[in-house]
Amino acid sequence: MSFEMWAEKYRPKTLDSMVDQKEIVERLKSFVKSRNVPHCIFAGPPGTGKTTAALCLARDLYGDAYREHIMELNASDERGINVVRETVKTFARARSIGEIPFKIMILDESDNMTADAQQALRRTMERYTETCRFILCANYSGKIIEPIQSRCAPFRFTFLPREEHDKYLKCIADNENVKLLKDGLDAIFEVCSGDLRKAINTLQAAASLNKPVDSKVVYSIAGRANPADVQKMIEVAMNGNFLEARKQLRDMIQKYGVAGSDIIRQIHTEIFRADISEPWKIKLANIVGEIDYRLVEGADEEVQLSALLARLVEAGYELKKAS
Amino acid sequence: MQNLHVAWTIKYKPKSLTEVIGNKEAIQQLVDWIKSWDTSIPKKRAAFLYGPPGIGKTVTVYALAVDFEMELVEKNASDYRTEEAIKRFAGLASQFRSLFGGKRLVLLDELDGLTGNADRGGVGAITEIVKTAQCPIVLIANNPYDPRFTNLRNHCLLIEFKKPPASEVTKHLKRICAIEKIQAEESALKFIAQRSDGDIRSAVNDLQALALGKKTLTYEDVSWLGYRDRQETIFNVLRLIFYGKTCQGAKQAVDMADVDIDMLFEWIYENVPTHFTDPHDLAKAMDALSIADLYRGRISSTQDWSFTRYVIDYMTAGVAMARQKTKIHGWTPFKFPVRIQMLSRTKAERAMQLNIGYKIKRRCHVSANRASKEILPYLKIIFKNNPNMAAGIAKWLDLDMEMVDYLAESEKNAEAIAKLLS
Repeated sequence: MSFEMWAEKYRPKTLDSMVDQKEIVERLKSFVKSRNVPHCIFAGPPGTGKTTAALCLARDLYGDAYREHIMELNASDERGINVVRETVKTFARARSIGEIPFKIMILDESDNMTADAQQALRRTMERYTETCRFILCANYSGKIIEPIQSRCAPFRFTFLPREEHDKYLKCIADNENVKLLKDGLDAIFEVCSGDLRKAINTLQAAASLNKPVDSKVVYSIAGRANPADVQKMIEVAMNGNFLEARKQLRDMIQKYGVAGSDIIRQIHTEIFRADISEPWKIKLANIVGEIDYRLVEGADEEVQLSALLARLVEAGYELKKAS
Repeated sequence: MQNLHVAWTIKYKPKSLTEVIGNKEAIQQLVDWIKSWDTSIPKKRAAFLYGPPGIGKTVTVYALAVDFEMELVEKNASDYRTEEAIKRFAGLASQFRSLFGGKRLVLLDELDGLTGNADRGGVGAITEIVKTAQCPIVLIANNPYDPRFTNLRNHCLLIEFKKPPASEVTKHLKRICAIEKIQAEESALKFIAQRSDGDIRSAVNDLQALALGKKTLTYEDVSWLGYRDRQETIFNVLRLIFYGKTCQGAKQAVDMADVDIDMLFEWIYENVPTHFTDPHDLAKAMDALSIADLYRGRISSTQDWSFTRYVIDYMTAGVAMARQKTKIHGWTPFKFPVRIQMLSRTKAERAMQLNIGYKIKRRCHVSANRASKEILPYLKIIFKNNPNMAAGIAKWLDLDMEMVDYLAESEKNAEAIAKLLS
């Protein structure tokens, strides 16, 4: 077993070695062949290979010294307008040395950039197109302003299909001498739903226990790594204990740093499974949707979600009254 | 030249009992008791002065010592955290005459400061000293009816100090202004005195803050100050909002609050569930708050602060109008916003997580933010279970020992990893 982060160790190095996103990879290969790359948006859920594709493209294009020609910037760490004005601009306008006349700027998690910063970025992209091409990676392309979208070639990444996912994990397990059982693999897929980075991290954490990786091990890892027991929180709220439900929500957000968007996604799934009257289900779905949208707008996660919890208290109360 | 560094509360401390503001009765009681020591040791060997802060309990004792030419031995009870330390102090109290033949007066201030386990036995030890003291002891506390003092109280002469009337405080401020050569409007001094609510110390501090270095002090200079941030104020504001009958009434409460809108929002958000117990009312009130929050978000994305009026509408009137079925019965206390407390408590932890996030970022092409949330939990599992793999990763990520300790979560695990690293 090797002692580094496997998700990094097994990150594909070249476009040829990328297992999935076949159509995307083909298009990227044609960029390499023509020695020209347009501005791109790589959009798709986490763990589907956006950053990897960008890095592979760069390596194929520039060779092993590709690091000298690219810059990686992470918008959720440096999301302000000043970064665009200074760091990005300085990099973008400097001429490239070597046979390819442009450099590549990889802007990761760029849907976290502020609107101001995006406006500034748009001008930079236009002005320095000759010397710099941008690859914007984002979970939601909708959060990127229209004028930038229209300047970029869009690429839509999707979750890995099941066979590719399995093949990849098995290959890592073999390499690391980890015994990965069939039901363990099933459990990883269920828990990570195709997010490969999460899947590999889960596998590595499971392997660290030094026993065969079966579903039991995977679920216990997932439980510890994902303290969002949304199902229980819903139950508590439906039973009328709003204060306790809000406390659990607070812990998820503040103590464990669970993202509000993850919590709301799980609430949405749970609502249709829960013991709620049918008309209330659709009523709640509408509220969930509204609150999801507000979170995207940047509202306070705890306040919004606890308003939803209060609705669940109401739904539980109605249910009891009816029965 | 004026000495800018002396606090006026010290500079204008009464030098004799006649200069102490108000509380004539209490002072007379104290004087009578001290005089009784001249004939024989009285039944109550300690006087227990109590009352709200800043009304002159401690300075009275100082002035007493001056007037009666006594040697004052003073200790803050908070310096005396344990029984043992107090016993060492007891020796002092066992003699009436000091080394130089003067009479001795022992003062134990801030008895309220004795708290928690560290002070266990402290009150008991003080009681023992009081029972056998050979010289007068004065004890001072804000609340003498604290259950811890039950036994001690029986052995003490209880003397209550009351808030002096605002007119007395105004007079004191006037005297200070005269000496400092400040032309002060009577209304300005009155305002300061009233605002202090009998707390002379805070009134003098306020006067110094407002008037220092000035030649004049007008009502305008002081009127902008709101009421001092006493919790009572925020409770009243919350009451007006939660039990308001009209939108206008609930909205006006905001003007009374001396916390900013965001903090007021937190107070309301914390306390709504306990004051709106009917499920429908609760849902409506929380909905109103979520809309207020929505407008806060719109303010920050548009930077247009005029939207603040809608935030206020929803967090006050919106909440007030949610009450339809919840009955008002009895008294429900208000709680300090837990979210604010938690935020400061978990701050250090979040900083650590983010620092580890930055280490991961350098290696893993992922933002520090996301790494600290999505990758760190897996590292914790590895660090807890597999020291070999943990050591490898720690080296690969270039983590420092503090980070290793944090991830390992127990000393034993951390040591095992550290051994492999060295």
